[in-house]
Amino acid sequence: MTAGETKPAESARSIAWARRRQAAGRVWREFATDRGGLIGLIVLAIIVLLAVLAPVLTNEADLNVTTTELPPRDPPSADAWLGTDRNGVSVLLLIWWGARVSLLIGFSAALLSVFIGTAVGILAAHFGGWPSTILMRLTDFFLVLPTLVLAIALAAVLPRGLGTIVLAIGVASWPTTARLVRAQTLTIEARPYIERSRALGAGHAHLIGKHVLPAVLPLVFANTTLVVANSIIAESTLSFLGVGDPSRPSWGGILQAAFSSGAATQGAWWYLLPPGIGIVIVVLCFTLCGRALETVLNPRLRGQG
Amino acid sequence: MTEVAERQDEPTEASSSPVLLELRDLSVRYLAAREELPAVRGVNLRLGAGETLGLAGESGCGKSTLAMSVLRLLPRTATISGEVLLDGEDVNTMRWGRLRTVRWASASVVFQGAMHALNPVRKIYDQIAEPIQLHHGSQVDQTELRRRVLELIDQVELPASKAEAYPHELSGGQKQRVMIAMALACEPRLVIADEPTTALDVIVQAQVLALMSRLVAERGIGLIMISHDLSVLAATCANIAVMYRGEMVEFGPSARLLEQPEHEHSQALAAAFPTIGDPAARFKPATSTPLPEPEPDRCVGEPVLRTENLRVDFRDRGGATVRAVRDVDLAVAENEIVALVGQSGSGKTTLARTLLGLQQPDSGRVYFRDTEIPSSARGLRGYRRQVQLILQDPASALNPRHSAYEAVAEGLRIHGLTDDEPGRVARALEAAELRPAERFMSALPHELSGGQKQRVVIAGALALDPTVVVADEPVASLDASVRGEILALLLRLRIELGLSALVITHDLGLAWNIADRVAVMYQGELVEVGTVEEVLLNPQHEYTRSLLAAVPGGTYRSGPNGECAH
Repeated sequence: MTAGETKPAESARSIAWARRRQAAGRVWREFATDRGGLIGLIVLAIIVLLAVLAPVLTNEADLNVTTTELPPRDPPSADAWLGTDRNGVSVLLLIWWGARVSLLIGFSAALLSVFIGTAVGILAAHFGGWPSTILMRLTDFFLVLPTLVLAIALAAVLPRGLGTIVLAIGVASWPTTARLVRAQTLTIEARPYIERSRALGAGHAHLIGKHVLPAVLPLVFANTTLVVANSIIAESTLSFLGVGDPSRPSWGGILQAAFSSGAATQGAWWYLLPPGIGIVIVVLCFTLCGRALETVLNPRLRGQG
Repeated sequence: MTEVAERQDEPTEASSSPVLLELRDLSVRYLAAREELPAVRGVNLRLGAGETLGLAGESGCGKSTLAMSVLRLLPRTATISGEVLLDGEDVNTMRWGRLRTVRWASASVVFQGAMHALNPVRKIYDQIAEPIQLHHGSQVDQTELRRRVLELIDQVELPASKAEAYPHELSGGQKQRVMIAMALACEPRLVIADEPTTALDVIVQAQVLALMSRLVAERGIGLIMISHDLSVLAATCANIAVMYRGEMVEFGPSARLLEQPEHEHSQALAAAFPTIGDPAARFKPATSTPLPEPEPDRCVGEPVLRTENLRVDFRDRGGATVRAVRDVDLAVAENEIVALVGQSGSGKTTLARTLLGLQQPDSGRVYFRDTEIPSSARGLRGYRRQVQLILQDPASALNPRHSAYEAVAEGLRIHGLTDDEPGRVARALEAAELRPAERFMSALPHELSGGQKQRVVIAGALALDPTVVVADEPVASLDASVRGEILALLLRLRIELGLSALVITHDLGLAWNIADRVAVMYQGELVEVGTVEEVLLNPQHEYTRSLLAAVPGGTYRSGPNGECAH
């Protein structure tokens, strides 16, 4: 209606943006009807906010084992709500700062993994032929490698640090995403509008950028939230096995410290339980969000529980 | 069987045949998103035993809903009012158990789309035997059942060996025969056939229609057949009822309705499928906007698109070579529409894809204005500005996420024609008769009707000012009334812009409507090429003759042979 009045060049772009806003609004409204997903998102938002604001709300110096004044292995008290660890540092503070590391590694590793997976999946499906064969055999190779062993090996060989952990988890976990994206790309590529676009003279970049990627992205997005959850678990596992970054507390690292100092046999539950519960809550929230998002984007899943 | 013999006598005993089905003021509404959508409004209908009735109308007119209400096969969201009397008993008030008995034993359905209505993992024999076992339970012994099923298979003219086949081993026409055998399994007195031949080829369609006519006549079964094609209905049914927006707008004997339809909508339906040879339909597809007069001394120019000994082979799963296109020489000249006709699987689409450079030929060449089409990606891009593709199903030929504007502008962006993009898009949309263009720019495909979608696809092709368009079954998935409009558009583009077209179709009436020349393709070869009048009125090749003989409406006989447009 207003297309004739506004400047045409703008209207073309504004039409596209208005449509995207509308689509996003529709996704959000449907997402909001899923109670589990909504709760997951809210809890997650709170946790992320707290983790980001940790330097503002707490004093990092309190993590220093040399300056702490609290007694070691002290049960929960007014000074330390979740008790203290073997060095007399507040467990609450450790968990708080550990969340930063766990979430950071979780997100970065998931992004890396999804990026590799999406690229490999789309390229394999789009080009077909021998590039596809090579890429998919590579995917199969990584798929059958035991993820954890590969990550441990990588983390052991490379210099210790957050980057190494991210790389180890990312490289080990992309094959499932690649298979998923490849399958989705194949169904998109079979649609006649791809043929029409090709007949119009479209090259590979146009086909992938304009048709395939926008159609695959929602799925990738839902998949990412699930991969984040897996990455957090993988990070905790690696830290627990002692190949994490020792200079910073992460949830897996705290668990490992508690375990090696005999917290389980001494009944120091306040030292063992909080990091474990933290992992469970965050992973559960990500899974709830991912499931809800998947249901919104793929209506066929609805009504199957 | 004595039972059958008795039934055959019934209509003859009573001079006015007993009423088999009666609809009294039947209305069906669907509840969708807190809104009631009326699908059928106040329909009254009587069908005697052994009578045949055709239900015609466009998609969404309520004809399928009406037919399914006879067996109460409607979804839960439907509210039914009025009476459906089957043998004098109201279906709507039947108890569940009684309804189950009536279904299939009194009335049965031949469902639309035989390829999806059969269970892919069960043998044909078991699927035909299923309704008999359900209705007679343990009373039938295995030898009797076997005899009965084989008899049914024989009646639908299938070889007995097919009893042990699975659905994927049968062709489309054979599957439809199995569906008919299933419908007849419990010896119903009424058969409802919902678009039984829509997905079938012309020749197979003629065979299935002949089979249904024969069975109905032999057994004295009442038949309700649903179709959007009046000539298909006229070939099998004595009477035709035309539905429009849920109401029955016209009812009458088939011949009368086909020749002198009274209601405006019946006229549109009757005109949509022309009689081949009828001079009134030559270069005049049914359209509401008048066409420009075809110029009397039109000269067809030089060939713009030409193939030379073109051959394309495929390998099937067994490794055997399938020759899809064999040594084809075909030319499309400037200012000319060529129709490429043939059955499905004859290699038409492969030929079109090869012309567009989407498929590499195994040997032979494609020329565009005396230069061979390039095979490099860069060279092909330039070529594709000149030759455009229009696909069969506009619903899937448009990206559901892209607005009409983006769909039309896509080609412009690919070819870097970015100056005055909105102006070019608007002109293309208007050339495809989407006026005013602004109204359609922001529309997403699902907000447009089938015809409008096809116009957007055509506009996308026109935006690049092509020399030739290749249209692959451009109207096959559109409604009858839209069909004429899209054909008129193609013809108008040829007359006004001199746009050449290669139209691929299985519909000979389309060729008669708009084409200058016809090329008939059979098993990958061009068996006959010539002007429309030569090929359709005086066919030389046997295959062309069988194609023409299978057209349900038949060909125009009283017209003078060889009447030309010039």
